[in-house]
Amino acid sequence: MARRGVGTWVREGVWEIPLRRYTALLVAAALVAGLVFAVRVLLHEDRSCGPGVARPEGSDECVGVATGPYDFGQPRLRDVVGAIGRENDRLKPGSYVTVAVLLPYTSTSPTSLNDIRHQLQGAYLAQYQANHGSNGERPQIRLVLANPGATGAYWRRTVEQLTAMTTSGDRLRAVAGVGQSTNAAKLAVGELTRHRIPVVGSSITADDLANGQQGKDPFPGLARVAPTNTDEARALASFAKVSAGRALLVYDKPGDPYTRTLQQSFAALIKGSPYEPQPFTPPGDRTEEGTTANTFRQITHLVCDTSRGTDTILFAGRHTQLRQFINALGGRGCQDRRFTVLTGDEASYLTHEKDLDRGALRHNLSVRYTSLAHPDTWLRATERTGGSAADFTALRRLLADADREPVGPIGTAALDDGQLIIGYDALRLAVHGIREAVPSGGSVPALGDVGLQWPQVKGSLRVDGASGWICLDVHGNPYDKAVPVVELTPQGGSHFVRIAWPEGKPPGKECLPPS
Amino acid sequence: MHRRLHGRGALFDVDPAGLAPRLVGLRPHQHRAHPYEHPDEPPFVVLTGARGLGKSAVLAELRDAYRGHTPVALVDCAEEQFRAPPPDRPAASWSPLGQALLVLAEQLAAPVTGAGRITFPRLMSGLVAVAAGGWGDADSERIRREVERILLLNESGSWIGSLAGRWAGKVAAKVVAAATGTGPLVSGAIEATLEAVAEGFTHRRHQKASVWYRTYPNAGGNAQRGLILLSQHFRDGGSSREHAERYLVRALLADLTEAYAGVLPRMQRLGRPLVLLDNAQAAPGPGLVAAVLRDRTEGVADRVAFVAARRGEGRAELPGAVRRALPEVARRCDWVPEATPSSRALLLALPPLSADDALHIVGAVCGDIAVPPHLPAAAHRLTGGNPLGIVLLAESAAQAAAGASAPADLLTSGLRPAEDLPAVPAYEALLARLVPAEHLDALTVLAAAHDHASACALAAALLPDTFGPASVRELQTLLAEEGLPDVPGRFVGDPFVRTLLLLRLHLRDADHASWRTAHETLIAHYPDEGHAPYRLHHELALGDTGGAVAHLRDTFPTAEPRAWLRGLRFIASAPYFHAHDAEGRDFTGRGDRRTAIALGRTDAGHAVPPGADAVLHLRIRRLLHAVWLLADPLVLPDPQVCDRLRFELEQLSNLRPAGNALLWRASRDWPAAALAGRPMEDLGDGDGGDGGDGGPDDDRGEA
Repeated sequence: MARRGVGTWVREGVWEIPLRRYTALLVAAALVAGLVFAVRVLLHEDRSCGPGVARPEGSDECVGVATGPYDFGQPRLRDVVGAIGRENDRLKPGSYVTVAVLLPYTSTSPTSLNDIRHQLQGAYLAQYQANHGSNGERPQIRLVLANPGATGAYWRRTVEQLTAMTTSGDRLRAVAGVGQSTNAAKLAVGELTRHRIPVVGSSITADDLANGQQGKDPFPGLARVAPTNTDEARALASFAKVSAGRALLVYDKPGDPYTRTLQQSFAALIKGSPYEPQPFTPPGDRTEEGTTANTFRQITHLVCDTSRGTDTILFAGRHTQLRQFINALGGRGCQDRRFTVLTGDEASYLTHEKDLDRGALRHNLSVRYTSLAHPDTWLRATERTGGSAADFTALRRLLADADREPVGPIGTAALDDGQLIIGYDALRLAVHGIREAVPSGGSVPALGDVGLQWPQVKGSLRVDGASGWICLDVHGNPYDKAVPVVELTPQGGSHFVRIAWPEGKPPGKECLPPS
Repeated sequence: MHRRLHGRGALFDVDPAGLAPRLVGLRPHQHRAHPYEHPDEPPFVVLTGARGLGKSAVLAELRDAYRGHTPVALVDCAEEQFRAPPPDRPAASWSPLGQALLVLAEQLAAPVTGAGRITFPRLMSGLVAVAAGGWGDADSERIRREVERILLLNESGSWIGSLAGRWAGKVAAKVVAAATGTGPLVSGAIEATLEAVAEGFTHRRHQKASVWYRTYPNAGGNAQRGLILLSQHFRDGGSSREHAERYLVRALLADLTEAYAGVLPRMQRLGRPLVLLDNAQAAPGPGLVAAVLRDRTEGVADRVAFVAARRGEGRAELPGAVRRALPEVARRCDWVPEATPSSRALLLALPPLSADDALHIVGAVCGDIAVPPHLPAAAHRLTGGNPLGIVLLAESAAQAAAGASAPADLLTSGLRPAEDLPAVPAYEALLARLVPAEHLDALTVLAAAHDHASACALAAALLPDTFGPASVRELQTLLAEEGLPDVPGRFVGDPFVRTLLLLRLHLRDADHASWRTAHETLIAHYPDEGHAPYRLHHELALGDTGGAVAHLRDTFPTAEPRAWLRGLRFIASAPYFHAHDAEGRDFTGRGDRRTAIALGRTDAGHAVPPGADAVLHLRIRRLLHAVWLLADPLVLPDPQVCDRLRFELEQLSNLRPAGNALLWRASRDWPAAALAGRPMEDLGDGDGGDGGDGGPDDDRGEA
């Protein structure tokens, strides 16, 4: 008995006695469970940021679909997110469908964040208007923020979450926004539409992120509020009367869908130009500075070397590169020659850009671009069709109400970059599709039915957007959408020049795309 | 694991399992369960055997092996406390069985690994009722003393222990008050007890216990009435008391059953409780055994493993019991209970130990002390495997001076039973434990006898007048009851005990007067030629070899060889406690002259009687001394003498062509047997009865 070891004690004093055996097993199981739990807690930091939002492995970015009022750590978004949260909380379960606003909320660029805030404010105003100002139409609209990451790297994860929300109590019925025409955005839209989730693009203008190109519809259920780059380029051409001998093309190589389609449209306009198009190669993330400033300095020399008849530079690039180019042009040798830089809607980002050398704009240099929308468009326009001042004034009134309860506050808002207007219009189009798809007697449309409404948005079923009439062709692209041409001012801002039309003239009263 | 017992593997083996783990359901000395051999009802095991065979040692080892693992109680029925009631307690309210139940329950209550104390509310109520029957003239102090001991049986000893203690005090006060009050005594005390049991504990088990006596015959469903009847029956004595006692036994077993019933106890307790009864032939033993067996027969099941030990075979008390030798049940019992109560008992005879066991015991007892290498073999040969004898011889060897190595020296040397006790000769210490003390003197004398008639002759010569033939018969019966073997031609059948008794007789008087008288009486008792071997046997014991040599020499040519050899062996089995001189007188010095004679060294000086064949005479003389020496259990066999024995028998076989085969085989077998420590057995088929003139067979065991 003296040699009783621990093993003997366990064997005879515990294991042999059923009561102690089972108690010991229970305790051991509890200990193991506790240990496992403790280890998990210790080893696995909490990667959650908020409801539906988490940091993926190896990243500090909060991505996912924020189902609660989560501002993605951006103080600029706090007010509008709070306003959306309040509006969402007001909705009774079962009475609403969800629309996600897919934008890169964790972007670090202040310019992009301003645009995002404005788009989100517009979307919120459209939600508020849909829930409060439309005679109690059903269903009501709940907004959630979907973030695929600053560069869209985590689009798949976010899309999976969105897909799951279509069948859950969230009843997701449309995704609006999407933001810039990046590769990730293209993949995300492809995946979303593959799951038959309707997508309403707000500021996507790239030709290959649209249906109907070369007769194919790769994104069934995608509708766009903004005209394609081609349409923008056509509108610009009709506005500026650009001819091959007077223009030089500077383009992003290899480019992204936006720059590529813009480049192709510009190249088509100046076919037969004596000047070779000048490429530049920016970093992968086009919001980074990179080394392109040097390239642009060299291109400036070439610009001065052109014949004196040349006065137009067509720029197919993103806004950071545009800023560098403008700054470089500001220091060009031939200050006496007058140049006009024509570019796409990316230039709207420069409206409030601090790094832009505004002095350059005073020395025989004007930067004109096609804006997605501009607040002055319909105040000065003379056209009777294609949009109206009344439609825009409705938004202005809503925005004025948003300064205080119950609508606001939604934070500092600005109209002149057009993002608020385009966000508002995108969501209005989404709401229009959702409500048109509601079956008679029901209150919630089937997911696939929403996307089927887009070809019918024309004629009297058009959406009278704040940016102009939105009439969609059978591919979901806007037909003859008003394109405001805007010029950057040296004072820091932009002024409206005039409306340009992709078709060369405003649409007819009936607004029906030709077959 | 340390093993205290040797040669009892049939009981304590673990793998494969001996009887104890199969019976108790636990491995000895371990807290590990073992499957039961008889899951429904275990046999009531009774170990049988004479004194000194290790029954008590087996029970003590069982208790040590299972104490702390399962409830164990060991009661020695021969203890003083069961013999008579305490001085101030009337016999009407006391019985050995009641006392035994109290002691058993006190021991069984002890907590074991995994489970707490066992309470005995039923037995407690019954014992209080019985005790109350004797409080007619008692003072309150005595009542309190008696009742408090009984009430402790209900002590659970758990965390509510202090509460229970207070409860016992309260109940005792109540009972004392009731008993010394004016009302009817017994019912008052019983009522107080029952009330206390029912009130003090609201637990379901206690309430069940408080109504257990409802089923007492004629109680009419009233527990209090049942207890009053029990008390009355106990006081009435006779078969009424037996009835009451049986109910008390049943109460104890019911309390034990209760302790093992239910989900929680089944998950806490392993095996069966073990009750060990030593000396079960004495007072409370038979009653307890009978009560348990009868209840089991009547279907009142219990879950206790009983192991009792009793002297003798108990054929009268347990006539229908299954009887086995211990080695037979080493792996399985082949025991199936039948209709009779005694068939539920399994009687196991403890066998003598083997030579290997003797070796182990001597090694264990002597430890590092150097002992003669032949001691284990000698001890085994002398004791015939008697464990007590081997142990005491080994202890004697360990305590003795280095020189003393012969068994005879070890038997007579002083042995200190304990550090502070005076030394006594080893043979006295052995006899004190092997023979009932009150009959020791008579047996010392009668050990020399061969049958009833010779015993009577010895008694007349050496014992007081009151010891007549009836006393001799009584003693014979007693020996049979003690479990000593009944051997024809020997009054005391066990060779080891007989050797010790004869040694005591030899040493009783300084001049060996009793010894001489005894043998002379027997020589005179066998005057006729038909009993010549007996006479010559005793002559040899007195050192006179002349008659024996002459008789053997003269009968050799004519006698049937088998009978002649048997006669030779019987004559030569005479004791030889110390040397005799040439004339056969006691020789004070040491030494053994038999070797010298057997080897022929004294032939030259020996005068052959006139007319005798000198060669044959000397050969017979050498042969007789060789056999005498080799058959002596107190002397180790001498290889040289063995060789000589073989030679002499060979030569004799040449002289008797007719008996050639038999004598020649003896020349081969006897020396081999003697060297191996075996008895020189009868040759051939062993059918030869005890031919009157051939002399009785000395039986095996006289080696």
